[in-house]
Amino acid sequence: MNIKFVTFIIVFFCLIIPKQSNSQSTYQFGVLPSISLNKKLEKDWSVNFKTESRLLIQNGDFKGNHNKEFEYLLTDISLIAAKKVGLNSRVAGGYLIRLRNGEAIHRTIQQFSIVKSKTGYRLAHRFAADQTFSSNQSPEFRFRYRITPEVPLNGQTVDPKEFYIKTNFELLNKFQSSDYELELRVVPLLGYTLNEQNKFEFGLDYRFDSLFISDPRHSFWTSINWYFNF
Amino acid sequence: MNLKLNKFLIIILIGIVSTNIQGQEKFEKESRLKSKDVPKTALNFIEEAQISGKVKWYIEYGLETTSIEAKFKMNRKWYSVEFDTLGIIEDVEIEIKFKDLKTKIKKAIESTLNNICETHKIFKIQKQFSGDQNVLISVLKQEETQESFDIKYELVAKCVKENKSEQFEFLFSDEGQLINTSKIIFKKSNNLEY
Repeated sequence: MNIKFVTFIIVFFCLIIPKQSNSQSTYQFGVLPSISLNKKLEKDWSVNFKTESRLLIQNGDFKGNHNKEFEYLLTDISLIAAKKVGLNSRVAGGYLIRLRNGEAIHRTIQQFSIVKSKTGYRLAHRFAADQTFSSNQSPEFRFRYRITPEVPLNGQTVDPKEFYIKTNFELLNKFQSSDYELELRVVPLLGYTLNEQNKFEFGLDYRFDSLFISDPRHSFWTSINWYFNF
Repeated sequence: MNLKLNKFLIIILIGIVSTNIQGQEKFEKESRLKSKDVPKTALNFIEEAQISGKVKWYIEYGLETTSIEAKFKMNRKWYSVEFDTLGIIEDVEIEIKFKDLKTKIKKAIESTLNNICETHKIFKIQKQFSGDQNVLISVLKQEETQESFDIKYELVAKCVKENKSEQFEFLFSDEGQLINTSKIIFKKSNNLEY
């Protein structure tokens, strides 16, 4: 049943992402390296510290106009505290600061996640909300849902020194002033578990922003992630 | 301001990693095994049992033991046949439903779990057969046999106790007596949550 559900999600995203680029649409391409540190605490608490930077390599439109220039865009730094509330579910809340062009943007985050172990794969659901505040823009409110299947490439579980495929499918509802936008993200990644502490992932972070505007933007980030547990 | 902050973070990261990288690594691993690497005795057993489904082979390394496992689906049920590293058959496990258990065993298991846990939920049950090789082949072929064999039940269940929810593997005898309990440790999932 869950395999059918995951297939449905994949087909849904393939259908919803436009096949032909709109003449007005633009793209950007770059690198998105991140480090995520997770510390388990007593009484089912844990904290996650994450830093992620965005480096632009090229942007342009689909008519052939482009600008090839390596540019550092921003860095996100977040700290999230989480509490296990069920066998495999967690509620979490935290704060993110975005440093961009010398300006600080503040974001509060709340999320509920559930990770189910199935025969031959794991399936994670994440329901999240966040609120973004900056000095020169109206507050932005986002409601997000993400589903992530993780499939080992060797055996039925991801063990140390083994590879896996992980794909995030996410829908982001964004509200700002009286505007509403829907963003889609599809993130296929190849992962490697070095040991119980370290995981590395590499792949594409594709973002389609937004479904309801005439000049949508396609973002193609090379995602490089390091997860460290201690 | 950004440069200073970045330097500060890098120093913290290096500090955290260098003080914790020495942590103990838990040794528990399961991998796919190609048919050509499976001991011939085990291959012969599966061949003799005339398995109709596609057989997948695995090698499982525990803390003290290593075993070889054949997994397949037959007649809409999941089977798992376990061998030692020489290919000698150890047991046959068949996934069943709780409602298919005999009433006496169901009651005994429920009673035990009610005593141990405030609330519980059974996720998976495997009926475990062990005995002579020919008997186990008969079990797989669903043939009647006069020879004796042992039956045990392996349950994976959620157990809530003192507001703490954990998952356990319980082993019950054919009489419904609890033989063994082991806590299931979940693999880390922060790469799926953040």
